[in-house]
Amino acid sequence: MSVINKSKDNKPEPVAYSEAALRNNASVVEYCRTSMAALSGSTAGVLGLTGLYGFAFYVFAVVILWIMFMVRAGPNWHKYYVSRQSLLTNGFFGALFTYVLFWTFIYGMVHVY
Amino acid sequence: MASFHKIIVIVGFISLFHSAFSAAQHRSYLRITSQEFTSLPLDIMVQAVISLFAVMWGVLNVAGNLREIQAAAELNATKWDTQLNFPSFYIFNHRGRALAQNYVRSAGKSELENSE
Amino acid sequence: MVELLLDPKIRVWVFLPIVIITFLVGIVRHYVSIILSSQKKVEIIQLQDSQVMIRARLLRENGKYLPKQSFAMRRHFFNNEETGYFKVQKRTAPSQNPMTDPGMMTDMLKGNVTNVLPMIVIGGWINWMFSGFLTTKVPFPLTLRFKPMLQRGVELTYLDASWVSSASWYFLNVFGLRTIYALVLGENNAADQSKVMQEQMSGAAMAMPPDPKAAFKAEWEALEITEHKWALQNVEADLLSTFANDSK
Repeated sequence: MSVINKSKDNKPEPVAYSEAALRNNASVVEYCRTSMAALSGSTAGVLGLTGLYGFAFYVFAVVILWIMFMVRAGPNWHKYYVSRQSLLTNGFFGALFTYVLFWTFIYGMVHVY
Repeated sequence: MASFHKIIVIVGFISLFHSAFSAAQHRSYLRITSQEFTSLPLDIMVQAVISLFAVMWGVLNVAGNLREIQAAAELNATKWDTQLNFPSFYIFNHRGRALAQNYVRSAGKSELENSE
Repeated sequence: MVELLLDPKIRVWVFLPIVIITFLVGIVRHYVSIILSSQKKVEIIQLQDSQVMIRARLLRENGKYLPKQSFAMRRHFFNNEETGYFKVQKRTAPSQNPMTDPGMMTDMLKGNVTNVLPMIVIGGWINWMFSGFLTTKVPFPLTLRFKPMLQRGVELTYLDASWVSSASWYFLNVFGLRTIYALVLGENNAADQSKVMQEQMSGAAMAMPPDPKAAFKAEWEALEITEHKWALQNVEADLLSTFANDSK
């Protein structure tokens, strides 16, 4: 055992990731992201944001969600995510479409009529 | 704990709907009194944003647990006995039979079928 | 520009129903395709072939950990001229045309029934029933190029481009609710048409089994030229030398 431990200290070992756990985490993140897009779109519709304010609100919501992920994972986030940056940027535009749909929907429901 | 977060999600949704409803009412009120729409009242905005945060936080906790992605994390939990188990190297036809001669074999599948 | 005022009844009887109909049709499509989907049957011969291929490849790659005689024995099982598995088994090449396979045809038909038909029927119904309404306004300014996309069925040249007609609102929903289906029904659901389409495309290529005859021939050749080199030749000496180093 001691031999193995020594070699670990000497050089950083390539980390092996568990495929199933990665996929599980990705689906959880995707779930949260879709919910976030729908919810923040609805909120933007309620607030009656128009034009660039609405898109700024989307960016704001994405960042808030990212901060929430970080708060939830705690200081040892690398136990759960490969990188923090990709957590912020992945699926940015895919969720944007959902956001715009809900924004339009609730905006129409609340403010147009 | 999970039910607590579910309650947060439900309450947040209701609050969000309520704020949407208030906003719609406000709009129709403005339209009836033929005033110009500038912005929503502050309390509706605050309610909407706060309920958004509440639902987001609740969904984040309801969505499911994150698993540790390092392969070692799960392997570390396995017992030494499990790791030593090699099904491919099982040998059933060994000299144990000679050592325990008074052992009576249980009825095989074909014998069971015949007896019926 | 003068703000258009829409009748609130349009909201209740056009705008909201379109969203609900689109959403529920997606859910129904999911369950209908679950009912219609047939489990792919695996031929026992095919399974046997693939397992044999895996075994042969394992032998080629890891045979160095076996003693020479054991390796030769296993290779003999596969490659012997008279009795070897690869020599004895005669496989016919599978039919090349997927159109001749009736199972494939019904699968494609089912895919079309669950995907294209509701799209046409519901789209036509919505076009017929809710045609000619302005339903909503997108909350951001758009250029004139978006007019034919967003105002299908309402051809008014002076209308601002950000107004959305009912037919276009339906199409926006069809494409926008995809992620919501993923949320409600779980990943890999059948409500998402585009994914199913992709699966059909790749499925046609995947379902065709690789010609087992050619695969056997290739594997036979590869196994034939494999040279056995025992990796554990000096294993005792290596072990002892590690202990000698460790004790120092």
